[in-house]
Amino acid sequence: MHGDETTGKDIRALQQKFRDSGISRRDFLAALSALGISAVGARSHLASASALALSPRKGGTAIYANNLHGPDDQLDPIVFTSGIDYTRGRACYNNLTQILDHLTLHPELAEEWSANRDGTEYTFKIRKGVEFHDGSPLTADDVVWSMNRHLGADSPSVIKAYFTSVTEWRKVDKHTVRAKLSTPDRDLPVKLGEKQAKIVKKDTTDFRKGIGTGPYILESFEPGVRSLHTRNPNYWRDGPNFDSLVLTAITDPIARVNALIAGDVHLIASVNSRSVRLIESTEGVHVNSTPSGRYGGICCLKNTPPGESDHFVKGMQYIQDRERIVRSILKGHGQVGNDHPISPAYGADHCTELSQRQYDPDKAKWHLKQAGISSAELFVAPVAAGIVETCLLMQANLKKIGFDLSIRQVPTDGYWGAVWMKEPMNVVSWNMRPTANSMLAIQFAPGAAWNDTYWNNPRFGELLQMQLAETDPARRYEMLCEMQRLVHEGSGMVIPCHINILDGVSDRIHGIPVVPLGAMGAYEWVEFAWMSE
Amino acid sequence: MSTPVNNPTGESGQTGAISEEQPRRSLKFSGAGKTGIVVILFWITMVFIGPWVAPFHEAEFLDEALFIEPGLDDPYPATDFLPPGDVAYLGTDYLGRDTLSRLLYGARTTIGVSLLSTLLAYLIGITLGIAAAAGGRVLDSSLSRLNDAVLSMPTIMLGMVVISAYGSTLPVLIALTSLIYASSVFRIARAFGLDIMVSDFVDAARVRGEGLGWIIRREVLPGMILPMASDFGLRFVYIILFLSGLSFLGLGVQPPQSDWGSMVRENLAGLPYGAIAPLIPALAIASLTVAINLVVDDISAHHGGKLAEKII
Amino acid sequence: MLIRAVLHRIATGLVTLVVVSVLIFLGTSVLPGDVASIILGQMATPESLAALRSTLGLDQPAYVRYFLWLGDLLSGDLGVSKAGAGAGTGGTSISEMIAPRLINTVQLAGAVALIAVPLSLGLGLAAATYPGTRLDRSITLSTLGLVSVPEFLVATALVLVIAVYLGWLPATAYVSGTETGMALLKTLALPTLTLVIVASSQIIRMTRASVLNVMSSPYIEMAVLKGLPRRRIVLHHALPNAVGPIVNVIALNLAYLISGVVIVETIFAYPGLAKLMVDAVQTRDLPLVQACAMIFCSAYILLVFIADLASILSNPRLRYPQ
Repeated sequence: MHGDETTGKDIRALQQKFRDSGISRRDFLAALSALGISAVGARSHLASASALALSPRKGGTAIYANNLHGPDDQLDPIVFTSGIDYTRGRACYNNLTQILDHLTLHPELAEEWSANRDGTEYTFKIRKGVEFHDGSPLTADDVVWSMNRHLGADSPSVIKAYFTSVTEWRKVDKHTVRAKLSTPDRDLPVKLGEKQAKIVKKDTTDFRKGIGTGPYILESFEPGVRSLHTRNPNYWRDGPNFDSLVLTAITDPIARVNALIAGDVHLIASVNSRSVRLIESTEGVHVNSTPSGRYGGICCLKNTPPGESDHFVKGMQYIQDRERIVRSILKGHGQVGNDHPISPAYGADHCTELSQRQYDPDKAKWHLKQAGISSAELFVAPVAAGIVETCLLMQANLKKIGFDLSIRQVPTDGYWGAVWMKEPMNVVSWNMRPTANSMLAIQFAPGAAWNDTYWNNPRFGELLQMQLAETDPARRYEMLCEMQRLVHEGSGMVIPCHINILDGVSDRIHGIPVVPLGAMGAYEWVEFAWMSE
Repeated sequence: MSTPVNNPTGESGQTGAISEEQPRRSLKFSGAGKTGIVVILFWITMVFIGPWVAPFHEAEFLDEALFIEPGLDDPYPATDFLPPGDVAYLGTDYLGRDTLSRLLYGARTTIGVSLLSTLLAYLIGITLGIAAAAGGRVLDSSLSRLNDAVLSMPTIMLGMVVISAYGSTLPVLIALTSLIYASSVFRIARAFGLDIMVSDFVDAARVRGEGLGWIIRREVLPGMILPMASDFGLRFVYIILFLSGLSFLGLGVQPPQSDWGSMVRENLAGLPYGAIAPLIPALAIASLTVAINLVVDDISAHHGGKLAEKII
Repeated sequence: MLIRAVLHRIATGLVTLVVVSVLIFLGTSVLPGDVASIILGQMATPESLAALRSTLGLDQPAYVRYFLWLGDLLSGDLGVSKAGAGAGTGGTSISEMIAPRLINTVQLAGAVALIAVPLSLGLGLAAATYPGTRLDRSITLSTLGLVSVPEFLVATALVLVIAVYLGWLPATAYVSGTETGMALLKTLALPTLTLVIVASSQIIRMTRASVLNVMSSPYIEMAVLKGLPRRRIVLHHALPNAVGPIVNVIALNLAYLISGVVIVETIFAYPGLAKLMVDAVQTRDLPLVQACAMIFCSAYILLVFIADLASILSNPRLRYPQ
């Protein structure tokens, strides 16, 4: 990114001009391309410029098409696992905290919070005057009940690993709650902004009514078909802009793009990188390409052959033609990976001192020879954008150095239970987490439930704990950097690239926050986006 | 009398005797039929020599350096969905692989799997069909109920279950496809079998004291083989389409192997860009389908047009 | 005679339904994973799985759940889909889930049948009336060409041309269940057109073959000798005797339109039964899979029965058996 500073200034000037209707849309785009900004970048600048030009307008029905849905669509936040659930959750419920543009943390239902000195006790002030959709007021009891659902060995919560240090949530008074921790966790407030940490009504047994404090009230919900939501007139802050929302899915990627172009829907998730050019060349729609930390990787299990050989893993890492993967498989909508999960999208947490591992067939060949292995079997399912294609390229490149990689493609359903963490070589996808520590902990902590390469490094485990307790930013960064280096050098994980989030959006939709944690500003569009005439 | 009810094609009578009644003429092909034979022979040749005449390996990602345009200083030109050119004669696919090579390699998988599955489907279907027709009430009704059960389920759903459980290796695909399509063959074979079993000439054979085996071998089988062969053409293309339908759900042949149906599917994203990558394999399927059916039409015309009667 | 046949049909139909339910039960039990592991997906742990299983009542042995399901079914209860209940106690009633989708499926299949059946009968008869002519040859070639194009290519190409470039119709059959009149026709138009192309080819080919087959019978030769016009011979003498195979093909195609159109339902995001069953299998939602299977099997049995009835009634020789 050369000359970011000046370019940024120029863009802002142009945006200003565009906003004041000084130049046409076409001239604006041309001027941006003169500044060396790609068409995709230009479109998003244009979109934000138009957004600046007008203040949010109330009204309209926004139709959102996710890439997946089915009979297992949920409204119980603790078992949310898919984008359609996250979006519905964002419409129905609120969190205590909220992660917005560029991973900044904001208060949501918790007006303010404080920690004791060693970070083992957090106190949250709960906003007053907030009502659930059924009219009952939000109190500390609801918060305690909702948060306690994530605790305990028998909790089905999918983010309970975040809260292993939390021993209990306790009500202090009607609008104050306190979390007690066994070990310090400086990241706790950020983790509370996660998509599953929603506040529901105490003693809810049937979640399908979606009763929360969120910006939209659930009108109807047909799992695997659609849900309808209308604006919550009693929302506790100025807020929801659409009159109503329709949340559905179009599972075929090409049909989804066609529906956006034909104007059937306004927002689509998971645009295939090959369809970006098509959308960009169509009037009235654009693609938001957001660099993220999420990735599709290849796990080589460290507790079994062939992954237990460090040489074997190195061979698999050096055979990744990372530049070409980003260039021809992701069509530029991704970043080269460096075999650890903390991409530049994590901002200051990304370690800049680590050297980039390059495509080097000779080194790969040498390492594989050292390992004494000449063939392997890799289980593949289309769990992440481009991962199957990445494995095919890897297979073709391995063939050139005399290594026979056979690929077993299996269906996605049942994959996580039957293949992942079981077969010696398999693919995995990981979404970006709100902090580098939570990402590293969930996947690489010694003995962690989802340590999917069975990599066991005691020093890494120590660092994780120390970093959570540390308050000095320089020390925190140093520890994060060391952890990234340890994963990069020792784990069984191959991370060829990080995948951008590709959202297809109608030009009439404005104000989608830029949050790299998930589609459409990590689903925050629901509360902040609006529709122009 | 429950025969008409049990007889799914609703036909009865002396169908079995037809081939006996026809005068033997020498088979003459029309112009269309001859073209069909040429196309079929071409593809059969490709099944055997395809991988050797293909310019590249089916799995090879073509090097970007091959496509650098002199004069343009782009060191990494796009390699996907290229139109036909000097390097890739039929253009490239969504990953920048050579479409022609994939088509030639794919001929083996596509035709091989479909042909084997079709033949197996006939073998199983006819065997069980005759067994049901000749083997008594209990066997007949248990086989028929089981068959109805399979036939009433969507084929893609059956495929999904089997592949999720046993993987999509070629043997599994062939076994699965042949079992699914055996159920429709069974229906026809049983109907023919029942017709023939109650016919006068079988009665006569029984009176002569011939055994069941003799009757099946000498009367039942010859009476149904030819009519059933005529339905081969459509069945064959249904199996190709079934495989492509599986690939739509991500359950087709194992990558990087190519089969024509999956090739259409994987390159579909190129359609709005006007890429020919999804059309070429579709044309290949169509050429084979039309060719086989033109030949079948000629054969059935030769046998008095009776053959197509029981095709379902 | 007819009543006995109907009773016999109902009895064998019930047996077939039981066979289907057992097959489904056995089939889905070999699949990896269960509802709980699909819900939790990548984020499952042994403890959370066990907890969710016991909340959802999945901790009983599979065969016990099968008989419980069978018992419920006999008392007219299709059961509850647990997939969407989360860790709560609720669950969506399957009959509620299926009813709107069944209507959609019947709507689409009906629309396709309404166009495809007369169209293909017409084209098939035209080809059979003038066999070997340019008309016959072009009908044959185009049906063969079309039958060999994968459904998803037909559907995607139609969407690209008609919805995206021309903008005449919506790209997805976005059925909210409230559309009526023109809006409903518009949403149904593209999926219907796709399926008409898919379903017609076989009916056309069958019609042509069956009619031509009858045309070589002695009594048709008699009619020709009497000097009757060709069209009259085909329509009044040949067609009635060729009804059997034709109605059978139509019945099987209708059964396919009800159960087998998952690709079209996916591409047009049309909430029908076929996609529901695929989703149900993928989420291992056994009661939901069973419910769909029962509907598909009943539809199949009914359609084949109607086809047989039609061919019996149309054929005097079958109507009065010796």
